[in-house]
Amino acid sequence: MDKKNWEIVDPSRLTENEAYRPSLTYWQDAWRRLKKNIGAMIGLAGVVLMLLFGFLGPQFTDFSYSDQNLDYSNLPPRLSIYKLDEDLWVYLSNDYKLLRVTEKGKLIERIERPAELNPRAVIDKKYIFVYGDEEITVDFSYAKRYNDTGEGYRFTIIYRGTTHIEPDKKVGNRVYPFGTDKVGRDLLTRVMYGARISLIVAFIATLVSFFIGVIYGAVSGYEGGKIDNFMMRIVDIINSIPLILLVILLMVMFERGGLWTIIIALGAVYWVGMARLVRGQALSLKNQEFVLAAITLGVSKRKIISRHLIPNAMGPILVSMTMMIPSAVFTESFLSFIGLGVSAPMASWGTLANESLPALTTYPYQLFFPAGAIAITMLAFNFVGDGLRDALDPRLRKG
Amino acid sequence: MEKLLEITNLKTSFFTHFGEVQAVRETTFSMDKGEVLGIVGESGSGKSVTALSIMRLVESPGKIVSGKIIFDGKDITGMTEKEMTEIRGQDIAMIFQDPMTSLNPVYTIRNQMVEVIRRHTDMSRKQALAKAEDMLRLVEIPEPKKRINSYPHEFSGGMKQRAMIATALSCDPKLLIADEPTTALDVTIQAQIIALMKNLKEKLSMSIIIITHDLGVIAEICSRIIVMYGGKIMEEGTSDEIFYEPQNPYTVGLHKSVPRMDSGDRKRLVPIAGSPPDLLSPPGGCPFSPRCPHTMEICLKEHPPKFNLSATHSSACWLLHPESPAVEGYRKGVQRNEG
Amino acid sequence: MKNYFLRRILSALFTIFLIATITFFLMKSVPGGPLTRERALSPEIEAVMIERYNLDAPILEQYFDYMKGLVTFNLGPSFAKIGLSVEELIWKGMPNSFKIGALSVLLIIILGIPIGIISALKQNKPIDYFVMFMATLGVTIPSFVLATGIIYIFAGKLGWIPSFGLNSPLSYIGPVVALSGYSLSFVARLTRSSMLEVLRQDYIRTARANGLRELSVIGKHAIKNALIPVITYIGPMIAAILTGSFVIEKIFAIPGIGRYFVESVTNRDYTVLLGITVFYAAFYVIMVLLVDVAYALVDPRIKFNK
Repeated sequence: MDKKNWEIVDPSRLTENEAYRPSLTYWQDAWRRLKKNIGAMIGLAGVVLMLLFGFLGPQFTDFSYSDQNLDYSNLPPRLSIYKLDEDLWVYLSNDYKLLRVTEKGKLIERIERPAELNPRAVIDKKYIFVYGDEEITVDFSYAKRYNDTGEGYRFTIIYRGTTHIEPDKKVGNRVYPFGTDKVGRDLLTRVMYGARISLIVAFIATLVSFFIGVIYGAVSGYEGGKIDNFMMRIVDIINSIPLILLVILLMVMFERGGLWTIIIALGAVYWVGMARLVRGQALSLKNQEFVLAAITLGVSKRKIISRHLIPNAMGPILVSMTMMIPSAVFTESFLSFIGLGVSAPMASWGTLANESLPALTTYPYQLFFPAGAIAITMLAFNFVGDGLRDALDPRLRKG
Repeated sequence: MEKLLEITNLKTSFFTHFGEVQAVRETTFSMDKGEVLGIVGESGSGKSVTALSIMRLVESPGKIVSGKIIFDGKDITGMTEKEMTEIRGQDIAMIFQDPMTSLNPVYTIRNQMVEVIRRHTDMSRKQALAKAEDMLRLVEIPEPKKRINSYPHEFSGGMKQRAMIATALSCDPKLLIADEPTTALDVTIQAQIIALMKNLKEKLSMSIIIITHDLGVIAEICSRIIVMYGGKIMEEGTSDEIFYEPQNPYTVGLHKSVPRMDSGDRKRLVPIAGSPPDLLSPPGGCPFSPRCPHTMEICLKEHPPKFNLSATHSSACWLLHPESPAVEGYRKGVQRNEG
Repeated sequence: MKNYFLRRILSALFTIFLIATITFFLMKSVPGGPLTRERALSPEIEAVMIERYNLDAPILEQYFDYMKGLVTFNLGPSFAKIGLSVEELIWKGMPNSFKIGALSVLLIIILGIPIGIISALKQNKPIDYFVMFMATLGVTIPSFVLATGIIYIFAGKLGWIPSFGLNSPLSYIGPVVALSGYSLSFVARLTRSSMLEVLRQDYIRTARANGLRELSVIGKHAIKNALIPVITYIGPMIAAILTGSFVIEKIFAIPGIGRYFVESVTNRDYTVLLGITVFYAAFYVIMVLLVDVAYALVDPRIKFNK
């Protein structure tokens, strides 16, 4: 065998192949792991998009959230249009308004329906519209049969002697991409404003409960003993009834529904969960060497809580906050839905969903968009929260 | 002596997201009936996975990749899961490291023991209960009639391990595998449990495999010892050979890192520098080469073969090769013909 | 053990008393009080009301009257539904609310737990991914959206179920599914993760090492342990169903307590609001108490001297 095989290897060569991992701080490490989590990244993108949608979006629409246009009320996002003439495309709304549109789905104007031409419209089941010099007749006498049997068609449009039964084309609504509500407000703008309201409520309410909860919990956990017992007793009592009942009571008590009322009511109730969490963390942290060392060095209570306890409990706190935001979005929309939300003409997603209820079967899109926005937001935050929890969980901290 | 267990070229890997972790690599050993075999190594050496492989309890993503495990004349690796459940508890029993978590917290000891006994015998409920009480008496739990109705959390750590042993032995297994049976216990309790096992071994004349990282634990009880590192067997021999004539730098390192009462001289404890190999991409040659004080060029290139030093003693180390430079304490062995 | 239960019952009673007190004073602190609503009553009726229910008495006297009323379940008149008392409303609404609530709980337990277990046993298989996907949707879609969606699709488009009321067995489907959707998903997720956690435990490995059959390993040793965290969720689940019933009863037009509660919120019908809140709180506290007792019976590690 080769002589060289039996030479002793220099020890320095043995260690050079050992893999060195760069040392990362807690947060760098967490971020590195969060980045690897596809679900969390999609969620984060969703959150960012929703924020942009709510806060920058309204800059790019032509309407404000309160602009009404009764001519264009209850317009769906997709229009079934009829070609009456070479350059005459019309859309007939569910409540028999005739709108002139372009072939591409842009609204031009509402076609007049002079009262003097329609004295007995309800009896004749016929509307006569005037476009230029011509008359357009909409005959809806078929509607009864259609509604009873579900067959055939509901109306015909007669123009220059030609009868149109089937729409010629379905186009997207170019002016109101999400359609309009019952007073002709742009739903896209309103959903954007809804995002703004819902997210503001959720973020600030979460912040409020964060401040109350963290301070309360840290003090309770750090002090321990009788004080802790008493403080946690209060938390237990608040926690012993469904929190939403308390929020409703507070909302009713404040009388006037408004942005700040909801924020305060939510913040005033939801801090208890945070307080419990932080107390648990404080209890376990306060016996650790670095806190004991700080106490021995005579650091003040305030500083120990703010410099040592809270920063070290930040991981679980952050996870819990991420989870609190969707639940605040949910609660806010829930409150708005039962009529306790922000007052008109402001609207959150819950208000929009609530407004869509009476005409749900006719105009389902009015529910679809705000509901979709709520679901996407909840999903996005849940993904981020799950990802954060996995990323910050020290038990998984390796690899 | 009749062979109870023969393991040939066992290879067990865990298929993780990062790649194949080769926990046990080409391991071959055997044990006789009535023998007490110790398997020693630090965490990650593959000793527990070897034991779980014998039980066929390696959990996903782990898998026995190749090799043969012949137990009592039957090949375990080829058995169906159903056949295995007949073997487990009946022919081979196993106890685990942490008695605190190894008993089901929501059932009484009685419930758990009776279930196991009735699973492998056709005793009535009453007979099984009597047998369970006998077993508790055997493992020296006081007032077994009363204590058997306790929940695990009402037992101390040592008592739990006794109950675990009682359950494991209740169907008179031919082989008991004890995976770090004392690691989670207080030192005084450790001694008691070892004494108990020694006692039981004589009474029940069974074979035992004890897996541990603590040489002290097995010194008293084992007749033969296998030293594992990086998923491979480094050295095997009788207790005396491993303790007084270690012929592998890893075994020597293990000895130096453990306090000895009998050596008399006041040597410092020397830890083995570095950390166990990354089994995702194990070093090409000898797994111990990065930490070995005598690493040679060949150690980095090729895994050492086994060198026989006596009928019972063999070691896988290039230092034992006739051509290697002489190092104090190491003899030259005879290369063993593998295959 | 007896002491433990006694203490728990006393503390529950105390909590109910405290909630009633706080709610009462909160309501009384509302500027104007119950009679100054937008649609005020005629002066004659108002006078009769004040006379009959002692509404101009000092607040402490009213408080004692109210507490006396609570004990005898006599909660005062509704100011929006003239001629009805609050307890009559509760009695009237309870059967409906109870039926859909109980059915929902049943559905959650008999579907949610097995789904979670199956999903855990088939971890990372298509069925697991499907269950997890549905469950994630389930916990992110608000109940009112689910309810309106059900009405739109199954009552409106397909016409399979009635869109309101509780008049036929079919009409229960909509409200019960909408009411249980969230908790069902949550229980499935919780059971799954709890089951996965339990399957990693040493005692499961011990059970296998002792040669127990897989049926016993899963059905006996794993499930009981896996259900312990699920039991702790029952409290929040009841809360979710209570509050869920507000919107579900409103959307499906079911005359239940939840709908009366929402109406009392919109009408500012303070006595009804107060009465139902206390009723809900008491109900919830009692249910949580029962859950705790059940918990103590399932998990032998719970010590009764705490």
